[in-house]
Amino acid sequence: MLQSAIDSILVLVVLLNLAMLATSRMAACIRTFALQSLLLALLPIAVGLRHEAMPGAHTFAIAAGAVGLKVFLIPWILLRVLRTGEIHREVEPFIGFTASVLLGAVIIVASFAFAKGMPLPTEAPTDLLLPVSLATLFNGLLMLVSRRKAITQVLGYLVVENGIFVFGLLLLEQTPVLVELGILLDLFVGVFIMGIVVYHIRREFDHMDTNLLDALRES
Amino acid sequence: MHLLLIVVPVVFAAVCLALPGPRLRLASLVAGSVAHFGVTIWSWSATFGDGADLFFAIEPLGHLFVSLVSVLFAATSIYFVGYHRRALLSERIFLACMLALLAALSAVCMSRHLGVLWVAMETASLAATPLIYFRLSARSLEATWKFLLMNSVGIALALLGIFCIAVAAMKTEPAISLDCSDLVSRAKELDVVWLRAGFLLALVGFGTKMGLSPLHSWKPDAYGEAPPPVAALLSGAMTLGAFIGILRVFQVCTAAGLAEFAGGWLVVFGLLSIGTAAVFVVGNNDYRRIFAYTSVEHMGVMVVGVGLGLGGSYAAMLHAMHNTLNKGVLFFLAGFFWRLYKSNRVSDVRGALHHHPTAGILFLGGLCATCGLPPFGMFFSELGILFAAAQKAEWWVLGLFTLTLCIVFVGVMTAMLPMVFGPPPDTLKAVHNGEGWWRNIAMLAPATLLLLAAFVLGAYQPACVREALTAAAATLEPSRMESGAAVARGMEEFP
Repeated sequence: MLQSAIDSILVLVVLLNLAMLATSRMAACIRTFALQSLLLALLPIAVGLRHEAMPGAHTFAIAAGAVGLKVFLIPWILLRVLRTGEIHREVEPFIGFTASVLLGAVIIVASFAFAKGMPLPTEAPTDLLLPVSLATLFNGLLMLVSRRKAITQVLGYLVVENGIFVFGLLLLEQTPVLVELGILLDLFVGVFIMGIVVYHIRREFDHMDTNLLDALRES
Repeated sequence: MHLLLIVVPVVFAAVCLALPGPRLRLASLVAGSVAHFGVTIWSWSATFGDGADLFFAIEPLGHLFVSLVSVLFAATSIYFVGYHRRALLSERIFLACMLALLAALSAVCMSRHLGVLWVAMETASLAATPLIYFRLSARSLEATWKFLLMNSVGIALALLGIFCIAVAAMKTEPAISLDCSDLVSRAKELDVVWLRAGFLLALVGFGTKMGLSPLHSWKPDAYGEAPPPVAALLSGAMTLGAFIGILRVFQVCTAAGLAEFAGGWLVVFGLLSIGTAAVFVVGNNDYRRIFAYTSVEHMGVMVVGVGLGLGGSYAAMLHAMHNTLNKGVLFFLAGFFWRLYKSNRVSDVRGALHHHPTAGILFLGGLCATCGLPPFGMFFSELGILFAAAQKAEWWVLGLFTLTLCIVFVGVMTAMLPMVFGPPPDTLKAVHNGEGWWRNIAMLAPATLLLLAAFVLGAYQPACVREALTAAAATLEPSRMESGAAVARGMEEFP
């Protein structure tokens, strides 16, 4: 029962990756990311429940931190940055939507194939963990390089972080809670600063197309 | 007591945020950096205590690096008094971020837990971001965005690498924590496949931050657009933090018997970086971007040295020390030249020796130091790496290393020597207008001190410095140091 719940969450996470690649409205993209983060925040608790009746405070601290930051605070910041400007709410990819979804699917298949070649030294909560983590990571990188808008690049970076978060589930008992919270805090501050920079980019250039950021080059 | 190195700058940053008035805040920056420097000097004495707790510890490698960081920050804070005029960004935040950067870098150097190291490193790059966005122009905004995004993605990969190492440590009973000394002492039990993956990811991740090619592209932009004192901090101190991240993982690999594998990759990335610098230095017309590419080159040299092992690690430590001193001198003078000539272009800056003799001489000295002319220390460190390559009979490495270094040398010298010699342009106004004399002193004195230190440490190396470097290098090759009588002999040849 619990096992199948964990597996279904992971499958949903992968599907949400594809959904993000296919979405053209930025606000919808940000909400999809929030949903993905919410699902991921449930995972530590579910994994903890497998071992014992009640997961420790450590697990709850991580889950609460992840929900607070990645489900509420960060999407709120991004939506706020988005709302302050009325123009250009579309994603505007370098690679078309269909092509990027296809590429995303290829990445998912490749991640599963690759994960087979990297056997984990210990028993993982589920076999899906490693491939899903890699797929999320690379889909995030794809978003990062294929999108033009500064804010979608931030979103891509966050999806990469989500992929690493899935990977981190393997190490739930090993990492001290302080370190995990430090990682989350750094992520938050990073996105906060990125939000400020995006805001300045738009004020400076009147939009947030990063391919216009090309003044710096060799003279 | 070792926590003082982190606490002192944090306290002064808080004071800086609280104080009213720009002068007081500037004083707080200087006081914080100098106090940190004082604690650093104290930390080398016996009364300091052994300094170790759960997450932080003072050990030879980190101690050396934190001292270098401290020296550079102390010099930069004094320089900044002269440089600072009208900050466009909130000056309060700017100065507090500078102190926060110092605290974060000290934490990076002293952390013994890989996770803590990562958190501190990310904090350092976040603290540095507002510093780059100093001038609030479109160009600095672009540089800031590139810096922020590339470093964030790079550091995310480094985190993945650290997680891979944690996975490699999982199969053991009891599980090894991510504590560096723990990992090194039981490295033989680690899972080799995951350790390799972890090393490569950490190398790419921290390498992005350090500015190793091909992930260096943010570096010329950031160093070119950031105010020169900040560029000095980034190139001299921040790179050390990233370097120590790579070295910690490398220590684990060496202890696990993967020295050949890890060293090989370090040499590849290093040579690639020097080669990239050689390509982009030649014909470049922006002197701060040229310095950025020499920084890429020096990072490459350090990484090659560590990768070769034997005497190479010692040479790499020597190189790291001189890199910090030289980059301080060069970027300080770059800021001074901007005052004199109001231009970043090499072709606009002419005849510095006539126009402002002191700055001209200092700049010439800095150039010689950074290009590795004797008696400056980089000559000896690069020579040491050549010896190491020859000892290991890595002739390809030796050849490529020499060739690319020569190209960089020629590229930098042909571009920069006309900046020093020749007649100054006629349009230039006289600078000696009286009111700015104390600014000149505040800007040139730290550069002079750093250059003197580089000169003295190149020509004559006191025993304590030598011991510190040797101890730091020894942590990088624990197994090979015992059998390496050749290493000891190799070191005798250094002054």
